[in-house]
Amino acid sequence: MDIIQLVVVGALGALAAILSNTGIAVFNDGLRPVMPEYLDGVISKKELAATSFAVSFGLVIGFGIPVSIGASIILVHSLLLMTDIIGTWTPDGKKGMIIAGVIGAVYGIALTLGLQAVVDLFAMLPVDVLGALGAVGAPIVIGFAVFPAVAVAYQHGFNKGAITLATSTLVLFIVKRFGTFQLNEQTSFTLSAEGMALLVGMIFMLIFAVQVKGESEDNQNLVSIFVERVTRIKKNWIILSIVGGLVASATSLTIIAGDPISLNLLSEGKFGEAALAAFARGIGFIPLVFSTAIVTGVYSPAGTTFVYVAGILLHGNPIFAFLAGAAIMFVEVNLLNAAAKGLDRFPGVRDMGEHIRTAMNRVLEIALLVGGAMASEQIAPGIGFFWVFGAYLMNRTAKKPLVDMAVGPVAAIALGIIVNILYVLGLFAPVV
Amino acid sequence: MKKIVVGGQIDKKEVAELVEKYAQGKFEVETKSDLEAAMALKNGTADYYFGACNTGGGGALAMAIALVGRPKTATVSMPGKIMPEEEIREQVTSGKIAFGFTAQHKENVIPILMDELSKLS
Repeated sequence: MDIIQLVVVGALGALAAILSNTGIAVFNDGLRPVMPEYLDGVISKKELAATSFAVSFGLVIGFGIPVSIGASIILVHSLLLMTDIIGTWTPDGKKGMIIAGVIGAVYGIALTLGLQAVVDLFAMLPVDVLGALGAVGAPIVIGFAVFPAVAVAYQHGFNKGAITLATSTLVLFIVKRFGTFQLNEQTSFTLSAEGMALLVGMIFMLIFAVQVKGESEDNQNLVSIFVERVTRIKKNWIILSIVGGLVASATSLTIIAGDPISLNLLSEGKFGEAALAAFARGIGFIPLVFSTAIVTGVYSPAGTTFVYVAGILLHGNPIFAFLAGAAIMFVEVNLLNAAAKGLDRFPGVRDMGEHIRTAMNRVLEIALLVGGAMASEQIAPGIGFFWVFGAYLMNRTAKKPLVDMAVGPVAAIALGIIVNILYVLGLFAPVV
Repeated sequence: MKKIVVGGQIDKKEVAELVEKYAQGKFEVETKSDLEAAMALKNGTADYYFGACNTGGGGALAMAIALVGRPKTATVSMPGKIMPEEEIREQVTSGKIAFGFTAQHKENVIPILMDELSKLS
């Protein structure tokens, strides 16, 4: 772990906690509408703190951490949902701001070191399961390119979805077969088949979406009703730009990733595909982040999530990534009004956001379940499928169920620990 | 007839189908974007709001909270936590009109909400 990584993640943790403490930005979309109620004195600090804990903590433990362990890159939810909590738990005023900053920094650094320690610990176990755990993300790496077709089907029906899927599949085959170009005798250049299939799917998705035109003025009305709140966000453009820069910088150092899809692609070194997936997800988040920002006057430390794209594209260049991330945040903040107008003109694009996120979730649920099952089967052949199917279906009947997406990874990690205990007891013989 | 709008961010189609199923013809059900749905609730052209997302309170309820105020809304499920049935019923009887939940729990909470709502009207 090098020092630059710790400095960046520490600074990000500190600033994000301060932004949450001062009510300028929070990461959880569900906490954002509650912030103005606190700032206007409708609810107490205690209630705000309790709400932020309730809406965020389960996601940190049940989603952020398990997905991070599988790939040893931090899913940003583990970091920024916790800084939401830290900021709302620390007192108001200058002193509170400093406390929030310090705890945020310590948390960011501890999380990074802690994840590394867990990975190291797993490496020391008598039965090696680390390699197998890497298989959790394998289906995502291949399967992510299908999501635009699913999104199109959700939004425009089965037929258009099937056309998109067929075209993406065809591209997948063609690029796999003919996508390697020999530049000269030593070097060749290979197009990413999954990346190209994703790109084609996304183009279909956009073309179908922009065809839906609208005359509604909902979003613009919103801007005029909540004009003071929009002004509040714009007033904080400097600090928001800095935090956006830090998010991009941390992404460029592959300490964090914005979503499980790009996280797993990054851990395989597939930067181009990761950037595309993050970009598509960003489109999915524009309507949600912009509309909640407009009505609440509170922004997100990662904005519409395009800062991750900059971070991925500028991987290994934390300083350039910082500048690009800061520039993206600056543009986003200043585009709030214009974007509201745009969302009114193209309601299909606004709806597309919801379908992109639904589709990505579906793909992830299946991919992480299958990945968890494959990893478990690799850890304990002949038992893995039994174990994961059981875990998944039992979880659905639990009083406090885990997020569906997390069941596969959690089950695989648990099995890894169990076989080690059984090995020590002489009840399990590892596969050689 | 009272009207339910389905807003929220994900699984809207499935949520609307479930609401329709348990409405048993007693409610009019319409799916809208979360913004339009919350607007309809605010303007009084809709009586109740249902929304799902991944957190139960974020995309599901954000617009409704912002437009009709948090006291009128209830998050009946969150990741890893479903509100007990009696508490869900209490939320309805105490006058909440917008309900958010985690998409994963839609089959659990919608029947209870619809049952209690149909007692009201």
